[in-house]
Formats: sequence, structure tokens, C-alpha cells
Amino acid sequence: MEDTMRFKRFLKEENLPTPWCPGCGNGQILKSACQAFEELNFDKRQVVIVSGIGCAGRSAGFFDMDSVHTAHGRAIPVAEGIKTANENLKVVVLSGDGDLLGIGGNHLLHATRRNTPISIICYSNEIYGMTGGQVSPTTRLNTKTVTTPEGNKDCPVNVQAIIKAHNCFYARSTTFHLAHLKKSIIEALRHPGLSFVDVICQCIVNNGRRVGFKDAFEMLMYYKNNYKINDNTELLKENEIGITRWTSA
Amino acid sequence: MSKQLLQGNQAIVIAAERAGLGFFAGYPITPASEILHELVGRKYIKVMQMEDEIASINACIGASLAGLKVMTATSGPGFSLMQESIGLAHMMEVPMVIVNVQRVGPSTGMPTFPAQGDIIQARHGSHGDYFPIIFYPNSVEEIYRHTFSAFNAAEESLSPVLLLSDGYISHLYETVELTNYPVVQRGRPPLGAGNRHFTGLTHKDSCPVTSSPEVHRTLLAHFQKKCMQTCANYNFYEYIENDTADTLLIAFGALSRAIYNFKDKYGVFRPIRLFPMIEELKDFASRYEYIVVLEMNTGQYCYEVESLLHREVELLALPGGKIDIKEISDKLQELRQASSKQVTIN
Repeated sequence: MEDTMRFKRFLKEENLPTPWCPGCGNGQILKSACQAFEELNFDKRQVVIVSGIGCAGRSAGFFDMDSVHTAHGRAIPVAEGIKTANENLKVVVLSGDGDLLGIGGNHLLHATRRNTPISIICYSNEIYGMTGGQVSPTTRLNTKTVTTPEGNKDCPVNVQAIIKAHNCFYARSTTFHLAHLKKSIIEALRHPGLSFVDVICQCIVNNGRRVGFKDAFEMLMYYKNNYKINDNTELLKENEIGITRWTSA
Repeated sequence: MSKQLLQGNQAIVIAAERAGLGFFAGYPITPASEILHELVGRKYIKVMQMEDEIASINACIGASLAGLKVMTATSGPGFSLMQESIGLAHMMEVPMVIVNVQRVGPSTGMPTFPAQGDIIQARHGSHGDYFPIIFYPNSVEEIYRHTFSAFNAAEESLSPVLLLSDGYISHLYETVELTNYPVVQRGRPPLGAGNRHFTGLTHKDSCPVTSSPEVHRTLLAHFQKKCMQTCANYNFYEYIENDTADTLLIAFGALSRAIYNFKDKYGVFRPIRLFPMIEELKDFASRYEYIVVLEMNTGQYCYEVESLLHREVELLALPGGKIDIKEISDKLQELRQASSKQVTIN
């Protein structure tokens, strides 16, 4: 196998294709995670994948290692139980913004407080995609969704502030900046405590097309033009992506 | 072997430790908190006090899949919060012990008073079809013993097993013979041993299958079969025959201790395994003209007995945490005088 394709050893190729819509960004995150595992030369028998419910929640079933597809919002406490039971396992949570920040938000708050050494990769598409495009905890102000036809009046959750408040690792990237995304996941997996990678990703079918994007490519171009990489800061601005500086307390 | 004076909740902890408990996650709640207190600081048991009962049961699911024997303990309000993930644990075949020390509900109710109001919740609380094994002992000695039963049945059935208690049994002090009962070890390899996919979706061979009624029916049949097979080894009940009586009294848990006073006038049946129901009850019940179920709720097990026996069953409902032998005696007489079935609520 060519070196660049070696990441595929972490996938159950027989389970492909994924159930995701054409143009969805989730596949890029799945691939980036596998590439990060490959780069770190992970042993498949030392990694456990945990996910919640929703489009992103289906990720766990495509990995060629033991994986747990939990109830909606409960990936984090399950991951904490696994890590506490066997600290030699590398426990990686892959789930969506609705799952991790909405229904499971309280668990994230307390997991960061406990600083349980797990890595969380959040597929942040700013919408409840699987259920038809309802407003999510990360939907921006004034955005029209199925349940906010007049525009979203609620402030999106400040994930960075929650993670950094308890001095955990925080990185933000997008599905356009793939090299940066991989680097962010690698750094998260290397981090000794709880790490969180906030991945802005496109949902064209149930979000993008309703807010005026023609296709997924346009959404990716928007990410390209809107986000600047800044890997040398304590706190990212709204239009920045980056791996924030972390110093042990 | 040694005898020790123990509180019900302490007995659960000592038995759990001897049965191989490796992980406990819980949230403080009256009248179950002593279980959490007693577990903290034990050398071989990892304890997590979580942010709520939802996190507790899910941490238990994770730790169990990772290879440890796990337990959580709660009371009615927390047990309600756990319901969704109890279904998940059945679906993913995760062994664990869930202790529910019942208190008066609904809602916050009377936290320090014993109740038996979670019988239906214990059997049917999560959505969809599942087949829980449920034990409900009535003494400290017995809860010690059946904590072993719960752990062993969980391992044999690869499912969450419920150990019901109540504010009375859990706070009662009695002497216990600390017998080392046999312990069943985990058969399934822990997480990190393969490429298995544990999912709450309907599945076959580690792969989600979400549009096949046949696969779903096969999965349910598998759950039911392993539950029934396991139960054959845990057929626990107490039956006190009375061949001069025309009435069989059925009671369990705290309330059943009061019923022994009436064994001269009535037959007495006490299920220790509430679910799946004890089949022998059909035979015992056939020897009596009347069946009366006494419970500390407004009728939950009564209907299960009725559907098992396919005959009319009378209910003596005693909600509110009060166990008064004189009251029970009077009400039993009233019930026998009345010709038709009636619900008696204090």
C-alpha cells in the first residue's frame, strides 16, 4: 500500500460508503482522524472510538477497532468510564455539535473540570442535520433554520471559553484546511489531559443551501476566505482557526 | 466466615467488592448515598462521583465494556434519569448492576420514606422491548447474598441486572454471615481486543442494520433467550404453604417482613426475583381461592401477577411509606368481606 493511503488501515472499508449526503464534510474529518492515527503510528488495539447520535455519531462504526456508539449526548461519560477503567487505552470521541454541546453539554462541562485524558473531535456543522435542519447550539445569530424562520435569536455557545476555562486543550479548524485539521488532531491526541478539536464543517443539504450557498464547494471557499490560521494565541478570534497555546497549570 | 452487624447499603457494598466490583459511578441521593460513601477509598474499586445519574450509568457502560465489573446506585428520581441508557445497556449487552433504593414518589415525594413505587419502571421504564432480571431481597443478609446473584446474573446474561431495595431494607441494621458465594467471571474480552462495534442501533455481527424487521426480531429473541436461560439458575422465592387457608398473600421487600405475621391464616408467597416472574407461582396460586398482592404503591406488581395467572387478583395498596401490622390486618379483613375487587388507598 502506498504510504499516503496507509491511514485506510484504521477503516472498515467493507462498511463503506457512509450514510452521509453528497457534499457533507464529515468524511474529511473521519479521514483526517485516521491520518492523525497513522502519523502517530497508533496500534489499533490501543484506541477506542466513542460517538454519540446524529450524522457525526455514525462515525464510530467505520473504524477498524473497538468502537462504542452511545445514546444521544452520552459519548463523553462513556469515554470517561472507559478511560478510567483502563488508562492504557487511547479514547477518542467523535460526535456532532448538537450531541456534544446541546443534549450532552453538561457532560462536557464536567469532563473538562475533571480533565479526563480523552480527545474529543466535534463535527460542528452548526445545525441538526440528521433530523432535518433545526437550529443547533452553534448556529450563528440571525441564521435561518427550519425552527428559526425569522433568524436565530440565541447566542451560539462559546465552546472555546468552556474548554479553556478549565485549562484544557482547544483547537479549531475547518474541513477546508485539511493539513491544519490533521495537525490539530495530532496535537490533541498528544495532549496529556482532555483535548477538544472544534471542526467547522459543511452541511450543504440541511444548512448551507438554506442560507444561500449553491453547493458544498462554495461553503469550503467561504471557510478558505473567512478563516485565518493563528497557531500562536491564547484565545482565537471568531474568524480565526488555530491550536491555542496551552501551559500546564 | 464471620458475622457482622451491617446496614443494608453497607452489605451491598461488601458483597459487591467480594463479587469483583472494579468500578462505581454514582450521584448522591437519599436513601442510596451510603453505597457511594462506603465505596470511596477501597483499594481495588475506582469510584467516580458524576454530575448526574445519566453520566453515572453511561460511565458504568464504558467501564464495563472496558472489562471491569461495574455498579451504580440510586433512588427513584435518579433511576428515572437512567432509563434511556438502561435500554442502551441491554442493546449493547453490557453487564452491570443497578441498585435502586426506592423512596416515596412520584417526583421528590418523601425522600426518607420507603416505597415500592418503581416496580413498573424497573421492568418497563426504558423504551422498546427488553428483558431485565430484577431481584428484590427483604433482609440485610439476603441483600448481601443477592448482590452476588445480581453480579453473577449480569455476567451470565451480559445485561444490566437490577437490585431493588427500599429506604427500609437499605437503612436497616442486621447481622450478616459474610459468606463468600461463588463468583462468575467476565467471558467477553475488554475494549481494545478487536474491531467490534457496540451500538444502540439494531445490529447484526457488529454492524448497524436499521431497516430489517427480521434482524430486529432475531435480536429481541436473542435477548429474551439469554435472559430466560440465565434465570433458570436464579429462581429465588419464598413460599409458606397453608393448607387450611383460602387466600394466598403475595408481598416482597420491606412490606413482606410484615406479612409473616399472617402466615397462620394465609398462605404467603414472596418473590425475590420479581422479573422474569417465578413460574412456580402458577402452581402455588392454584391451591387458593383468593390471591391478594400487598405492595407499597397503588398496584404495580398486582397486574403482572394477574397477567401471569390469568385470573382475578386482589390488591392491598399501601403507598406512603407506612408499614403498620394492625392496618394491614384490618384491611385484609375488609378485603375478604368485600365480594368484589377493590383498590384500597390510605
